[in-house]
Amino acid sequence: MAVFDTPQEAFRILRPVCVQLTKVQTTENVECLQAQLQTVSDSALQELQEYILFPLRFTLKTPGPKRERLVQSVVQCITSILSTTCVKKQDLLQELFSELCLCLSSPSGLQSPAPLSEELKLTVIQALQVLMHSAYGDIILTLYQPSTLPHLGFAVSLLLALAEQEKAKQIKLAALKCLQVLILQCDCQEHHRLLDTVETRQCGNLFASFLPGISTALSRVITGDIKQGHRVTVSAIRLFYQTVCLVMADEQLATITQDEEKPSVEQRVSELVVHRGPDWVKSTADKLSLLIHKIVEFTSLHPHWKVRMEFVELVHQFMLKCSQSLVESVGHLLKALVGLVNDESSEVQSKCHEILRSIAELRTVVENRALADILSENLLSLATALPRLMNSQDDQGKFSTLSLLLGSLKLLGPKVNIVLNSAAHLQRLSKALIQVLELDVADVKTVRERLWDSEDSLGEPSGSLQHGKGQKKYFRFFFDEQIFLLIQQICRVLGYYGNLYLLVDHFMGLYNESVVYRKQAAMVLNELITGAAGLGVDVLHKRETAVSTEDLKGTITSILEEYTDQANWYLTTSIDTEGTSDELTVKHSRVRAIPRGAHSSSLISSSSPSSDPSPTIRSMNSNIWQICIQLEGVGCFAYVLGKEFHLLLASVLYPVLEKAGDSSLLISQTATGTMVDICHACGYDSVQNLINANSDYLVNGISLNLRRVAHQPHASRVLEAMLRHSDASLLPLVEDVIRDVLSALDQFYDDRASSFLGVLSTLVAALVQWFIVGKGKEHPQEQNLEQQSSTSSQKQGEGSVIIPMVQEMEQFFLDYIKQSQIAEGNLPAMEEEEEEVQAPPAEPEMNDSGAEGETPLPAHAQIAKDVMERCIHLLSDKSLRVRLKVLDVLEFCVIVLHLHENHLLPMAHCVWPALVTRLINDDPLAVLRAFKVLCTLAEKCGDFLKRRFSKDILPKLAGSLVAQAPVSARAGPVYSHTLAFKLQLAVLQGLGLLCEKLDLGESDLNKVADACLIYLSAKQPVKLQEAARSVFLHLMCVDPDATWLFLNEICCPLPYEPPHPSLQPVKLGGMGRQRTEFTDNVLSLLGELQRQETATFQAGLQEAPEPQPPSLTEALG
Amino acid sequence: MALPPPDPQFVLRGTSAEVHTLHFYCGGQEPDYPILFSGSSNGLIHVWNLKTRRVDTILDGHGGKSVYWVEAINGRDRLLSQGSNQQICLWDLAEGRNTVTDSVFTENVGFCKSSLLKVAQGHWLMAMPGKDLDEVQVLELPSKTSVCTLKPEADAKPGMPMCLKLWQPDFGSCPFLLAGYEDGSVILWNLSGGKILSRLGCHQEPVMSLDFDSEKKKGVSGSSEEVLTVWSLDEQQNLKVQKTHKLVNAGIADVAIRQDKKILATAGWDHRIRIFGWKKLKPLAILNYHTATVHCVSFSDHSRPSERLLAAGSKDHRISIWSIYNQTSGALHCSLETRKPD
Repeated sequence: MAVFDTPQEAFRILRPVCVQLTKVQTTENVECLQAQLQTVSDSALQELQEYILFPLRFTLKTPGPKRERLVQSVVQCITSILSTTCVKKQDLLQELFSELCLCLSSPSGLQSPAPLSEELKLTVIQALQVLMHSAYGDIILTLYQPSTLPHLGFAVSLLLALAEQEKAKQIKLAALKCLQVLILQCDCQEHHRLLDTVETRQCGNLFASFLPGISTALSRVITGDIKQGHRVTVSAIRLFYQTVCLVMADEQLATITQDEEKPSVEQRVSELVVHRGPDWVKSTADKLSLLIHKIVEFTSLHPHWKVRMEFVELVHQFMLKCSQSLVESVGHLLKALVGLVNDESSEVQSKCHEILRSIAELRTVVENRALADILSENLLSLATALPRLMNSQDDQGKFSTLSLLLGSLKLLGPKVNIVLNSAAHLQRLSKALIQVLELDVADVKTVRERLWDSEDSLGEPSGSLQHGKGQKKYFRFFFDEQIFLLIQQICRVLGYYGNLYLLVDHFMGLYNESVVYRKQAAMVLNELITGAAGLGVDVLHKRETAVSTEDLKGTITSILEEYTDQANWYLTTSIDTEGTSDELTVKHSRVRAIPRGAHSSSLISSSSPSSDPSPTIRSMNSNIWQICIQLEGVGCFAYVLGKEFHLLLASVLYPVLEKAGDSSLLISQTATGTMVDICHACGYDSVQNLINANSDYLVNGISLNLRRVAHQPHASRVLEAMLRHSDASLLPLVEDVIRDVLSALDQFYDDRASSFLGVLSTLVAALVQWFIVGKGKEHPQEQNLEQQSSTSSQKQGEGSVIIPMVQEMEQFFLDYIKQSQIAEGNLPAMEEEEEEVQAPPAEPEMNDSGAEGETPLPAHAQIAKDVMERCIHLLSDKSLRVRLKVLDVLEFCVIVLHLHENHLLPMAHCVWPALVTRLINDDPLAVLRAFKVLCTLAEKCGDFLKRRFSKDILPKLAGSLVAQAPVSARAGPVYSHTLAFKLQLAVLQGLGLLCEKLDLGESDLNKVADACLIYLSAKQPVKLQEAARSVFLHLMCVDPDATWLFLNEICCPLPYEPPHPSLQPVKLGGMGRQRTEFTDNVLSLLGELQRQETATFQAGLQEAPEPQPPSLTEALG
Repeated sequence: MALPPPDPQFVLRGTSAEVHTLHFYCGGQEPDYPILFSGSSNGLIHVWNLKTRRVDTILDGHGGKSVYWVEAINGRDRLLSQGSNQQICLWDLAEGRNTVTDSVFTENVGFCKSSLLKVAQGHWLMAMPGKDLDEVQVLELPSKTSVCTLKPEADAKPGMPMCLKLWQPDFGSCPFLLAGYEDGSVILWNLSGGKILSRLGCHQEPVMSLDFDSEKKKGVSGSSEEVLTVWSLDEQQNLKVQKTHKLVNAGIADVAIRQDKKILATAGWDHRIRIFGWKKLKPLAILNYHTATVHCVSFSDHSRPSERLLAAGSKDHRISIWSIYNQTSGALHCSLETRKPD
């Protein structure tokens, strides 16, 4: 479209239209003008601005009712002109301003807007806005003179009425926006002239008149129906604080003097002007605080996050600009702000944090006594209400209450000591914390979960050392983990700013006051110390003086002393049947009695553990938790002290390790966690290192505790844990303490045996691990070689199963001749061979037991021997559990001692009678275990036991096998779960090896074969059949021929034709029999025997010198 | 109800030999920790840090021969040690050194412990068994010049000296020497004249150890028999038996009076440490921990009474450290009652 750049051209174009409009005021004409305006350039338009505006203004001004349509198009046209031009004359600005305002007002009453169409209202509002924007330079300020006050007031009230009463969201928003422009706080992109201080003050003075109106109207808008949409609320809030900040700014108020000259204006207007003196400020602040209160209530819980965000900004602005003038509302605002710190929206959260931090940096709180008072009052009222709120609120509510508490503490910072220094206040705060932290100890699981298997009692030293987070606790008053974290922060912040001595002293007092408080107080103490060290605490400003390490160490030492005090450390955690009776009596005399009537109403249920003689589940639970919390405390303190914790290890490590072996799962896990923490703190890379490096402290603790009967089980547990976590290098250190254990055992054979057996069993197991298995690993290659050779020989055997009979015969005769020659003793070559055979075994003897007779045993073997001596006595203990355990220990002892035959054999001799009794008449469980020991013993002692075995045990074993066989043959599938079955199985599995190792004689072998034969029956359970077959396989190794014959007597698969008629035909018992229950097993055994024979035969052939067979064949031929 | 006797506060292990002598050094200011020196039968001297309860240094200077006397001289940096290799060594321990700077050859084969007395700043007297069997020699340190040789007259025949104690009534006055002899007698020597002032036959068996309270002019001696004798010194410098206490089991290896003269500890061959009130020799406690003969007892001289300790060294290679009767003096006579040995 053609553009007319010069004013002349533009004038030529526009003139007719303007004239036309002036004559006939119709919508069409206005639109025509509007259309023509498009063709005029901005600069030209600026020149002609007044000329063109004239007909439009004329149209508006003509008296009489006008059509809305027309007014709207006129205003639109004005808007479009103003948006491209600027108003340079102040008269024009003021006139336009009032003319536009008039468009909105109803002719009847000035205050309320006319019932116009929404479109028109919107257009006018926008036109006003555009007008304000188009004011050129300082011109705009002419609107803000006292003289124009009525005009402005008119506009403000109109706009407010629109914002409040209109239904349409758009109009509301536009009105609010326009108001914002009106108070010179427009936040649009366009460049606005910044006001200087004096101008700002003038504006402030001016708007002070409108403040009551604006603020009440806006507060109504803000707290209006939520359905109006968040944008309206947001801009209303923004406008609210902008207005308040403009009028109530501390900066401005400070410069206003009492006797400021009134602006010289006419009387009527001067009544409207407000003097912002102290009185006025005071009364306005009072009124505002009511409004602010209302707004805070409403918006801090507003469902839309943008509203809360804007509210946070409001607090920020007020804190920044009006913290003095609005001092009464500050408490309220801060409270709300702190409450929003943990808002669900992360934007709000971070904004809150940022603002809190900036407020703290401004140090308004620390240096402002009034604020500190307000905050500490808040704090106290919160603390007072906390228990009640904790009972009544839901988790969400509790969360916000606690975040409020935390926020106040953070804001108070070092000023918190004002609160703490008052005994009553401290009491109130601490009681609140303690009540909130009350644990739920009703859960049965805590007591029930325990380590049945003592093997795992210290857990495994987890490879990944992580800072233990502690056990999940269950609280009476809340479930949310977040809430606990909040309380944790509260305690830490207290520790960070508060006077540590005062706090620790107070909570120690509570700890000692009653069992009811003890757990909570310990929890608080742990966090206080963490906080005092400045760890894991999130604060707004740094404290001036940190607690020195020395002070921390002193405090921690005294807390630890209290924690590990007997009365607080050895608590009943289980109804253990064995040997706790005297332990309990010891405790009861020491545990502090709870003062009667000391229970507060909510705590009555968690009654004292010491008042009733038998501990209830609840009290045991409570005890378990107490120990856990104290253990966690130890971990915390280690974390806090770092390397400095080394010095405390001497007193702390033993108790912790003691708990690591506790039978309660929770305690042992926690203690393990604590150990990990200690490792971290003291720079050990594993629990094992920790134990090894500090074993002297532990040994000291063990030896001292062994002296006290009640603590012996703990001591032995610690020793167990040490042994399990350490290696052979530990032995010299613990040797001494092991003697103590043994001598303690000697003193208390009757009642304490079982607790000591645990440690003995661990000990010998450790010895086996360190000295036997460790050494065994040096020769794995040999074993591999053996295996390889055996497999290869098998393969070869399979490869050439069928061997010509002739060759076999030859071989047989050859052997026969050899044997008979040997029998006659006239083969000189054999002697050499014998020597060769005997020479190698002499070597190991030199190494292991050569000088054994004279020199003392190595320490580990000596210990094993000592332990074994004790076992002999304990084998006949009346408790089955003890007997079983002793058998285990015995087995390990035998393994440790097996390299020292000179000592082992006499011991075996001593053990024998007791062991036989176990095998012959005892509980089947013991028999089972004893049989295992017997097998080990036989393996290590060899034929030393041959005669005893065949005399004392074999008849009985064989007898019981025979007697039991019919039962198992008849039994159903359930039988395999019975003890009798397991016993049969174990005996059958072990018997073969026994026969082999003990090198039993022929008659004994027959006995074994007879007894086992029944188990080859197909009627027997499959497992028993297998085991019986294994017996026969072993028998084959001992005496293949006899076994072959024996088996063939049962069942003979092949007819044996004599190779030569001159030989007698072979008659075997099993020949030609029908298939019986035994057939299958016997056949498979015979097959196996056949394979073995051929294999050895093959091996013999390979080893034998090549030329021999041919020569023999020649000889025979 | 009699409370059970306490347990050791802690036990030091690791000497791997019998412990024959102990000596505390607790002087020094805060950063310095208390030290315990122990001499054992394998010729090693262990320097224990009582804060960490671990060995700081091991000194080896007696050729594997038993060490039976150690004493700090001039702070924690100098140490005298006597061993059965007939040497008395002076150690320099300052700044982590551990070297023998000087030594004296004793020419005596017995096992009589020497005795040290500070006579002036930087000057000490040391009594040690002399060349002849019944002779005691007194040296001035650090110059090592012989002050006098105390030899009983030919007809006295007290046998070898078994234990020595140098003392002086007031600082700066003439020192005396108390010596216990093989025949069971205790002799008071005047060093200035080298004369016997008094001789008291208080035991039937050799005197194993003695200690003397120079304030009350009262001493105690133990021998291999089952009697503990308290004797006093009157104005005329005569020794008189004041009281005897009969023990159940024979043999007192060592006696020590605590610095505050309130209690007395004895090391028994019956593995027990006995505590007596020094004033009336009232039996207070029997400390039962060791599993073999207790060779020596020693009290620490810590500046804070509550941290004063008792240490006992035994044949079972352990040193037990006890914290007893160090709370307040009032508790001394009521907190523990005697337990009859079984």
